[in-house]
Amino acid sequence: MSRNDANRAAAAWSRRDILRVGSLSFFGLDLSRYLRLQHLMADTGSAPRGKAQAAILLWLNGGPSHVDTWDPKRNSSFKPIATNVPGIRISELLPRVARHMDKLSLIRSMHTLENNHGIAHHYAMTGHRPNPAMKFPSLGSIISKELGARLSVPPYVMVPDGNWFGEHFRAHMLGASYDPMEIPDPSAKNFKIPDLRLPDSISVERLQQRRAMAGLVDALYREQMHSAEHASLDVFQQQALEMILSPAVREAFDLSKETEQLKDAYGRNTVGQSALIARRLVEAGSRFVTVVDRNRPESGDWDSHANNDKRHRDVLVPVLDQVLSTLLADLEQRGLLSSTIVIAMGEFGRTPDINPNGGRDHWPQCWSLALGGGGIRGGTIVGESDERGAYVKDRMVTIGDLFATLYKALGIDWHREYMHPIGRPLKIANSLDDKTGQPIQELV
Amino acid sequence: MRVVLLLLTAMLGSRVCFAEQPAPPRPASFAREIVSILTKQGCNSSSCHGGVKGRGGLKLSLDGLDPREDYKWIVQGGTYQVLSPEALPPITPRVSLQEPENSLLLRKPAMQVVHGGGEIFTPESPDYAAILEWVRGGAAYGEDVQKTLQGIEPSSREIVLGPGHTHSLRVVARFAGGRREDVTREVRYESLDSTVATVEPSGVLKALQKGETAVILRWLGQFAHVRIGVTDQEPASDAELPRNNFIDDHVFARLRRFRIRPSELSSDHEFVRRVCLDLAGTLPPPDRVREFLASKDPKKREKVVEALLNSPEYVEFWSLRFADLFRVRGEYGWILPFWEWVRRNVATDKPYHQVAREAIAVQGYGGASHKYQFGINKPPPIEQMVNETIRVFMGRRLDCAQCHNHPFDRWTQNQYWGLGAFFGRMTNTGWAFDNAVFDDPNGHEVDYVENDPTLRFRPVAHPRTKQPLAAMFMDGTALPEDRRDDPRLALANWVVSHPYFAEAAVNRIWGYFFGRGIVDPVDDFRVVNPPTHPELLAALARDFEQHGYSLKQLMRRIVNSRAYQLSSQTHELNRHDRTNYSHALPRPLEAAVLLDAISQVTGVPEVFDKNPAGKRAIQLRFPAGASFLSVFGRPARDAVPDPGGQLNLRQAMHMLAGTTFNAKLSNEAGRLHRLLQSGASDRQLVEEFYLAALSRFPTEREWAGLQKIFAERPRREAAEDLVWALITAREFAENH
Repeated sequence: MSRNDANRAAAAWSRRDILRVGSLSFFGLDLSRYLRLQHLMADTGSAPRGKAQAAILLWLNGGPSHVDTWDPKRNSSFKPIATNVPGIRISELLPRVARHMDKLSLIRSMHTLENNHGIAHHYAMTGHRPNPAMKFPSLGSIISKELGARLSVPPYVMVPDGNWFGEHFRAHMLGASYDPMEIPDPSAKNFKIPDLRLPDSISVERLQQRRAMAGLVDALYREQMHSAEHASLDVFQQQALEMILSPAVREAFDLSKETEQLKDAYGRNTVGQSALIARRLVEAGSRFVTVVDRNRPESGDWDSHANNDKRHRDVLVPVLDQVLSTLLADLEQRGLLSSTIVIAMGEFGRTPDINPNGGRDHWPQCWSLALGGGGIRGGTIVGESDERGAYVKDRMVTIGDLFATLYKALGIDWHREYMHPIGRPLKIANSLDDKTGQPIQELV
Repeated sequence: MRVVLLLLTAMLGSRVCFAEQPAPPRPASFAREIVSILTKQGCNSSSCHGGVKGRGGLKLSLDGLDPREDYKWIVQGGTYQVLSPEALPPITPRVSLQEPENSLLLRKPAMQVVHGGGEIFTPESPDYAAILEWVRGGAAYGEDVQKTLQGIEPSSREIVLGPGHTHSLRVVARFAGGRREDVTREVRYESLDSTVATVEPSGVLKALQKGETAVILRWLGQFAHVRIGVTDQEPASDAELPRNNFIDDHVFARLRRFRIRPSELSSDHEFVRRVCLDLAGTLPPPDRVREFLASKDPKKREKVVEALLNSPEYVEFWSLRFADLFRVRGEYGWILPFWEWVRRNVATDKPYHQVAREAIAVQGYGGASHKYQFGINKPPPIEQMVNETIRVFMGRRLDCAQCHNHPFDRWTQNQYWGLGAFFGRMTNTGWAFDNAVFDDPNGHEVDYVENDPTLRFRPVAHPRTKQPLAAMFMDGTALPEDRRDDPRLALANWVVSHPYFAEAAVNRIWGYFFGRGIVDPVDDFRVVNPPTHPELLAALARDFEQHGYSLKQLMRRIVNSRAYQLSSQTHELNRHDRTNYSHALPRPLEAAVLLDAISQVTGVPEVFDKNPAGKRAIQLRFPAGASFLSVFGRPARDAVPDPGGQLNLRQAMHMLAGTTFNAKLSNEAGRLHRLLQSGASDRQLVEEFYLAALSRFPTEREWAGLQKIFAERPRREAAEDLVWALITAREFAENH
């Protein structure tokens, strides 16, 4: 039963995409023409209704300490500083972001349910607690599905690959086409997207000859067998071919097209260069790019059970400060900020108290995140935590509310439910107690 | 009183008109009359009050499986909470004995007060009258009819209709003591595909358009199904099709009744490729194909089957599949005992009930003990053990029942945690590589976990009621006192002696060979997912039991059947059939088999990390590391495998630009280089590769096209491109 459904879905999907893919040619498209095309599409109404067209998620793996970043408190070792928005103060560890506060809003009253990394990832990326009977699609997969791919650029990308909790970022019931394409660390010397470039011995002409040969060899079988899978493979092959042959797609992954200055500005490290490639991808047509900040050579991820202050001060926050401020400025300068949402968050916050190892432990009760761009109002504080940042004092915001806010900005109906193959409806913006999340009025 | 009862019986109607024997007048019982109405009207269906959380505070058991509980919610009242056994106030009864017409149980469905489910019946309807009379009579629970009810039987289990035609189903209930009653009008009917056929509450079927569906019947917690075929074909001629064994009897009889003409017997080249891939996960080499095609031996198919069943590749391939199923994970040396256990099971054709017993009840250092402790120092969560045991060995997915009664099946949360309690005594030595799992009857805990509260002994409590639970089999019988020192062995023995066990096993194996299970997915037996061929499934299970649970014998039966050997080439009249085995269904090759096939055709072996040269993908204990395998979807073995083979963009990219599909072509040690050096003609070269990849010769049309290309382009280039085209073809990547 479920396989038939999947086949039907694949067939419907294929038909749609054949039309889309078929309207493009592979050759002679450079990035600027690509972008013009893209804007043309936006103007003719084939693009979604929201202002936002895409989102970049800076995933602060392990959970940043909210009192040492977005929600400064007296139980932090760091002082609050003023920002370019009167009345908003953030930690002194974020001096550069402070100058872009008008572009960002802060939610200081996030409340989530899970206290351990794996399941907290699951909760934050799907809005659901893990369930033994089923797997849930992730935010990025849902957005990619609802908005559809633009041109032949992969709609959903995760960078760098090798995420420990990668499973929680996948599409599951939505199908492999909405899984993130995982690409290697762009700051690595030998950075290369696997299988995106033909072997040197194979010219484009040769590839076309091969495809002609393949048509000849497989024709008989294709005539005899009627299979939705064949159609969907053809679509994937067409997409793959476009990706491999289109200079625009190759360029989207090609950091050598960026100036050395800008690369420096993002920072010559995994997070910085990943954010830069995220911007290139969004510019070329991706819908959702997750930049995973998890593997700093000095400190691993944000999970600061020991030496919280030193790690936040010397290693973790400075990179975030640099990358996030550069990304916001870069997007704005290219006119992309109004159509691109930027979110910086982890799977939870950290305890208000410092533990005996000088660290802070996991804390989902109340924490903060930053988001802006894509028509989301900047310079706003949503919600309030108590004196120590321990519990929500005012205006609790759930993952469902956050998702609903993003969906609204992207023009997606946040009330939607999917039917899971096992027969259980799934809210795409699932809040506490099975309620549907509500967009944050102050922001969208 | 008596007058009222007679009136009620008359209004309910059905038994009076259709009874096999006149029903004796008796007081209306909640368990029969009221639960019937609640079921028939869909009140206790999974999308309404029978759902996990109930609706509007009223929770009913799904399909009336638990009438005692339903009675309580209706007669005592209260609001249901999923995670707590307590009812939330107000505890207001949903029936009113003082003013029966004012009962919520009537006013809600009659929409006299707001009802989320809308108007279910009017005050003039028989259902309204029946409930009203029941309340007037004191709303008693009455006779416990479910205690004596043994089952419901439709007048036919299979019905074939022309589009537009109708058929009246009749349903009889069977009670203890041999009593039978016509319950046609009380049963709830549901067509699984109402575009093919619909069914009215009276049991009248209407065929709408060509296709197949099943109608599910529900009554008082009993279930049955009727398979419906809608066709515009004339009945087939009576010419008997040749049959090889009992499988063909069942498959061909069904095809005839459903008026589907099967495809022809597969050609020799079709058969030899299919059976080699299915039994040994390996393509037949060109010489073997030639030999087979040339042989005039009338028994050559059986002989090939025997050769394959006794080949080392058979052992390798089925070890891979069972290592996927049993989730042999880890690259370390200490996974070896587990993998070796799997391999030896296959190599010796260990009776499968013995395999299951060892997997479920393992105690000590060897074999399956390792399945419980990959990379961790404690047994996995009880839920995982319950879910896997029942899914793998009984073909049921109980997962939902962990948190609440199963929303689409009969499994309750009590049954689930009763099973959980069998795993509540598990502990382990925790000695790194020598880790051993065992049941500790005295509840002693090993020293090293003394300070870790999460590793304490795990008495199993019901998550809602918090009551400690005793081990209880799925049928509700408790584990006897005197056997509680070895609970998992008791469970294992119960599992393998249950009819579900053999059915689940044969269905799983069948699925490998036919591309779909008789129940599909193969491990999702459910009331609303009935078998397409129930008699065949039963016959296969019986045969399996009679032959000592030999998987090899089961496979021998399957591949020797004519049904298995039908061609995958369809004709106009069976092209759309995907459930009746009128032709072979193409199936994608598993990642490891595909990679080996590419290596074999090109003659360039893959080299795997940490493995000696020449190792094939199907021989790997844990196929990790190779990028081809992850791109093409090898099972990660962190969960019971689901049907794979889903295509994706990365695969398409790898086909165009990846090393597997490029570097192997130009390798000088490969088949292509050798042939080019050997002075073979174009035709010889083409034929050799066709045989290697597709186990057939090119057709004249293909040869003509290829000849032209070979004439126009540099020979090496043309030949390389031919090989590329062959190994990227769907004809190559599928078994058909």
